Amino acid sequence: MTLRKYIALVRAGIMESLHFRLGTAVTLFANLIYLVLVYFLWKAVYDSSGVDVVNGMTFTDTMIYLILATALFNFLEMFIVWDMSRSIQSGGIILDLLKPMQYRSYKFWSYSGSHVSQFVLAFIPTFIVVMIVTKGAIPIGLNLVRFMVSVILALVINFSIEMLVATLCLYTESTWGINIVKETIVLVLSGASIPLAFFPESIRNIISWLPFRAIYDIPLQVLLNKGGSDTLEGLAKMWGMQLGWCVILGLAGVLFWNHAVKKITVNGG
Amino acid sequence: MSKKRGLKFYLSIYRKILTQDLKSKMSYRADFVISTFGMIMTNLAGFVTFIVLFHNFPTINGWDINHMLFLYGFSLLALTPVQCFFDNNWNLRAMVYSGDFIKYCFRPVNVFFYFMSEVFDVKGLGQLAFGLGTLIYAWNKIGIPVTFITIAQAVLFLLTASLFMIAIMNVAAATCFWIQGSGYVMVIMFRFKDFAKYPASIFNEIFKAIFTFIIPIAFVAYYPSLVLLQPDNVPLLSWLSPLIGLVFFFLSYAFWMLGVRKYDFTGS
Repeated sequence: MTLRKYIALVRAGIMESLHFRLGTAVTLFANLIYLVLVYFLWKAVYDSSGVDVVNGMTFTDTMIYLILATALFNFLEMFIVWDMSRSIQSGGIILDLLKPMQYRSYKFWSYSGSHVSQFVLAFIPTFIVVMIVTKGAIPIGLNLVRFMVSVILALVINFSIEMLVATLCLYTESTWGINIVKETIVLVLSGASIPLAFFPESIRNIISWLPFRAIYDIPLQVLLNKGGSDTLEGLAKMWGMQLGWCVILGLAGVLFWNHAVKKITVNGG
Repeated sequence: MSKKRGLKFYLSIYRKILTQDLKSKMSYRADFVISTFGMIMTNLAGFVTFIVLFHNFPTINGWDINHMLFLYGFSLLALTPVQCFFDNNWNLRAMVYSGDFIKYCFRPVNVFFYFMSEVFDVKGLGQLAFGLGTLIYAWNKIGIPVTFITIAQAVLFLLTASLFMIAIMNVAAATCFWIQGSGYVMVIMFRFKDFAKYPASIFNEIFKAIFTFIIPIAFVAYYPSLVLLQPDNVPLLSWLSPLIGLVFFFLSYAFWMLGVRKYDFTGS
């Protein structure tokens, strides 16, 4: 019975996102443009360096990492911050708050639908193209299953960060500003714009304890069998960290939200 | 536009409209502070990316970190006017769609001017400060002489370089007069600005040609800054960039106004 309402939400989400097929196509095209830049930049970088392997990454490794990071980014992208600020302005948030379901899980499950369709429509095709072009540079085996587990954990962490930031916006009334700060921090510290392997040792030690790495870097390492993720111990460490952040950020989000929801003032609606 | 009005007239109008916009913005002071901070953060992120890259690789395609930072600072400054003065382009689609755009057609001033003057984006100032700081730092490190000529060159080429991104965004925004749901065109075009901070020499011939003549992003920083970075060996395109900038700007303006005229005829 309880399961049915979740399935209904996921289904509605899938249908809603399929309705915006043009948007998906344009996103893919925009990514392609971006990848042209990434390709030429890193090609120039590796050509000028005169060596093939830098920090344990070859040119192909770097490209695979960055392309899949971009694909993951699109797959994980959420607009909760924008949604929430808009529905506060319009007053529509009242209807969501009155639903016989926690607001948080309502949001999570209705976004799950678009995650599913984005994964199938955007991530899997990208992955297959990369796999064919690089001719077997991506190992195929159990790592795919482990990757899926990692991605789901990453999704929960990403959602928690998004909810925390959205809640923060209830206080500041600044959607654009807060959102861009969040996006920048996540993109740089998660390894989505430069693989974390390239950061200086000391900074990398700090970054590796932050939650942002758990969104892009860990799933990608698991997928490419790097960073010791092919050993039981290494895998346990990575998953442990992801799980830990899921719990911490989830709890923080719930507490913060419960505090903030009492403060919401909606004009009209 | 039968009656030509002087620059002074337009400047005084601009000041009046701008004051109104700033007044309404100032009522959301927290938003202003956070947005400016956010803008500086994104620029800082670009900066960090360079530092991390050059930590691993001393030069990229013959460019060392100071030259790259010069290019980065130059591109940030050249992208400031489009951010500050032409931000209303982002609202064009919604206004055309809802029909609110008609109000601009009834005023006895240039439609393009009136539309753009309505919004001044304050967050661009954060970018201006950051870009200026980066440029001065790199200028110093490279040891470009500080003379009247180099300063004048920098100002002239910065101003004209800014026309390219303005032109690109004008064209992208004006597509909404013809195509429904053209918001994506702007998003994609805006993404091209990421290309401005890298030397165009890293691309192969085909893409270099595309970024020079079709989507002229290489003119935002690469070609104009060569005038200062390698004064003994300046390509012809660099010297011509102010002229090309004016041409591109004028063409985009004409395209934009063509859209307005078409919109008039549709009526509502």
